Amino acid sequence: MKPRFPRRRVVVTVATNLVRYFFGGAARNWVRNAGSTAPALVSMSVLLIMSGLVGLTAFTLHNLEEIEASQASLLHVYLRDDADGSGVAALKVRIESDPRVQGVVYLSKNDALARARTVPGLPQLADATESNPFPASLDVQVRSIDDMAAIDAMVRHESVVDPVYPTSYDRGAYQRIQAVLLGVAIAGFAFIGMLGFVAVAVTMNSIKAAIHSRRDEISIMQLVGASRWMVRGPFVVEGAITGAVAGAVGALVTFGAAMAAVTSGSGALMQFAPGLSATVAAVAAGIVLAAGAGLGSGSSLLSLRRHMES
Amino acid sequence: MRPIVELRPIVEAAAVSRSYGARLAVDGIDFALCPGELTFLVGPSGAGKTTLLKLINREIRPTTGQLWVAGLPAHLVKPSRVAELRRKVGVVFQDFKLLPRLTAAENVAFGLRVVDLRLSDQEARERSLDALEAVGLGDRGDAFPHQLSGGQQQRVAIARAVVAQPPVLIADEPTGNLDQETAWEIMDLFEDIAAWGTAVLVATHNVEIVTRLKRRVLTLVHGRLVRDQPAGQTGRMAWLASS
Repeated sequence: MKPRFPRRRVVVTVATNLVRYFFGGAARNWVRNAGSTAPALVSMSVLLIMSGLVGLTAFTLHNLEEIEASQASLLHVYLRDDADGSGVAALKVRIESDPRVQGVVYLSKNDALARARTVPGLPQLADATESNPFPASLDVQVRSIDDMAAIDAMVRHESVVDPVYPTSYDRGAYQRIQAVLLGVAIAGFAFIGMLGFVAVAVTMNSIKAAIHSRRDEISIMQLVGASRWMVRGPFVVEGAITGAVAGAVGALVTFGAAMAAVTSGSGALMQFAPGLSATVAAVAAGIVLAAGAGLGSGSSLLSLRRHMES
Repeated sequence: MRPIVELRPIVEAAAVSRSYGARLAVDGIDFALCPGELTFLVGPSGAGKTTLLKLINREIRPTTGQLWVAGLPAHLVKPSRVAELRRKVGVVFQDFKLLPRLTAAENVAFGLRVVDLRLSDQEARERSLDALEAVGLGDRGDAFPHQLSGGQQQRVAIARAVVAQPPVLIADEPTGNLDQETAWEIMDLFEDIAAWGTAVLVATHNVEIVTRLKRRVLTLVHGRLVRDQPAGQTGRMAWLASS
């Protein structure tokens, strides 16, 4: 009786052959075809670096937009310096009783000065004068941004309110921010889309060149009965290697840029790029790396479908 | 001991046609190949010999008709199952098609490795050297193709084609690049392979070999099978001299 082939040995042999065939072979071919792969590598690296940076920018813009949205429904009612306490308290109670209002906080001149010192640029203004230039205010949190105009109209002519700068309400400010962000997003997507198209086209061409240079080998493999995945697999891995190398470059630049911004640690950064941290930088770098591998293998698959006969 | 030869056809063609645009390369061919049979496919250039071999190996599909290869319908088989069909058909070419950066043994093992991942390096090498031994090149396993003569390269190609023991072997002008003496050696190999039960179909222009071996001869002219001459007979092949 023929002895049974040990199952474990079969599994080990198949795994070894698969790794050697797909990854070893693809790596060898990748090194051998480095010249024809270089344009794909460069274009994909540029794409992924730009994608990483645009992604981080999009992340911070999104956070900014959320902050703006919450601030847009916060109405600062500036009080006269000579307003009496009982008048201010009465106005506060009246505003609080309005069902459209979520809450009201009184901010004294000293509180306003303290807050101004945390805002970039304002400490210098605060220190420039001997007196405190920042007015006391009632900070009104309105439930719906649509009611801002009505609440503003209700309070701006009160006797305790500063007649020159009664409130912080600016009709359309939030909408303008949204429009700018939408424009930036469209431009960013268009730019990344264009770079993506170029990178995919160049990668497809490099894989086409690799297919052409190994057409004899491919033809023999097909004729001896190699399955389609056996023939195509190494090319897909080769594309994935190109993408992963480009992804690593993109990930390093993205991570480096983000960490440089984070470690600079200025208050201005947190003002203009809120939410940016080492974790966010690492996640962004990981996404860029994975995107690179996916883009490379996807481009290879597209090229194989187009240029390789079954 | 010679193995038992099945009489059931391993290749069967029924009204097989293949057209390229308006041109009919193969026109309604019927034939069958049995295991252990060495058959010559002859005809003038452009008669459809290569097209017929490509149909058997499912490099191309029949436009109409049915073609069964080792129990698989080549006329219907999906692209995802073409590899399965091709593993049942060994192929030998006029220009050998060896990979220049691989040794003879590696070229033969290449044919094994891509179809069976369960083979270890040692098994693949042993089987490759066995196949090379069978074609008379047991001592040249480590030679690269450029270090071998044309006849030796063709032997390596034959070893690669049969190392996985396919039931069908097709050869397209296998002696076209070889001198007459070497051509005879290659034909001896095909006879041996057929004797072990493989159906061998050889497309050739070599009149001397066809007439002297007296094997079955299929004659194609303008894509049509004009004669199916049984083994042991000789027929007129005057057109071969002018083709």
